[in-house]
Amino acid sequence: MAPIADPDEDLVRRVGQADPAAIQAMVARKLPRMLALAQRMLGDPVEAEDVAQEAMLRAWRQAPRWTPGKAKFDTWLHRVALNLCYDRLRRRREIPTDVPPDRPDPGPAPDRGLLAAETGLRVDAALARLPERQREAIVLCHYQELTNIEAAALMEVSVEALESLLSRGRRALRTALADLRPGTEGA
Amino acid sequence: MTAERFLALVAAWGADSRRWPAEERAAAEAFAAARPDIARPALAEADGIDALLHASRVAAPSAALRDRVLASAAEAGLRARRGGRRWLDRLGLALGAGWAAAACAGVVAGVALTGQLTAAAEADAVLYQASLLAFDDTEVLG
Repeated sequence: MAPIADPDEDLVRRVGQADPAAIQAMVARKLPRMLALAQRMLGDPVEAEDVAQEAMLRAWRQAPRWTPGKAKFDTWLHRVALNLCYDRLRRRREIPTDVPPDRPDPGPAPDRGLLAAETGLRVDAALARLPERQREAIVLCHYQELTNIEAAALMEVSVEALESLLSRGRRALRTALADLRPGTEGA
Repeated sequence: MTAERFLALVAAWGADSRRWPAEERAAAEAFAAARPDIARPALAEADGIDALLHASRVAAPSAALRDRVLASAAEAGLRARRGGRRWLDRLGLALGAGWAAAACAGVVAGVALTGQLTAAAEADAVLYQASLLAFDDTEVLG
């Protein structure tokens, strides 16, 4: 099997050697990605910070023993962060909390168009209400911009199954946010 | 590419061809160019959903989070080897040089002692070796 080209390979090697500049660069490159992933998976900014911090801690531990060519470091880091998100989502199901993690849908638009921020909140709320696997597929493919093969491998499904999750997720969002779409405003 | 496959691809990946699976991108773009009657409505529909997805914003990492993550690198053992390691390296070099000098001195002293040692040479050798570490007087003086 041909070694996998990894754009992070040199950076990971330098992090493993405790190069301070490389550690700074790794934080700049990966922390926003891990935080965004966790925010969209969990819908809770505090929990998302905890997950991102823990994922980065594991990155520090992994870097000195990372073997290049076997996998992309970014994909491995997504795996770590996703598992941390799964743990928290599972805990929520087992221990119902008083505060629901999903943000409430603010409701349909007022008479005129919504501000961009309000639209964003509506979209986030609709994303949060999607079935977990559909949300995960959209987060990995649309927001984290992973390839179909990377996302399918992370979710442990076939590429066809991933596409099905994406299609269903997008369809559900279209229905939930129908009032926000051009031509339907105020409908 | 069939119309059915094109529609399925756009429904899953949206209207932006850069997001389409690399192995099908060229064929899908060719289909869109060849069959705008099928492609345009599907792309317009998908573009509307893409625009909604783009409206979602996430917060950037706070300075406090960045600081905690940077601090955790040191906690994980990724400490920059500054003074300590270089000091050890310098120490190693110094010890190596010392031993090399001592060895040279031993040879020089040995050659001198095989000849007729003068009192002056003997005194010089003693003074020289005294400046070196871990060197036995008896090796010089016999």
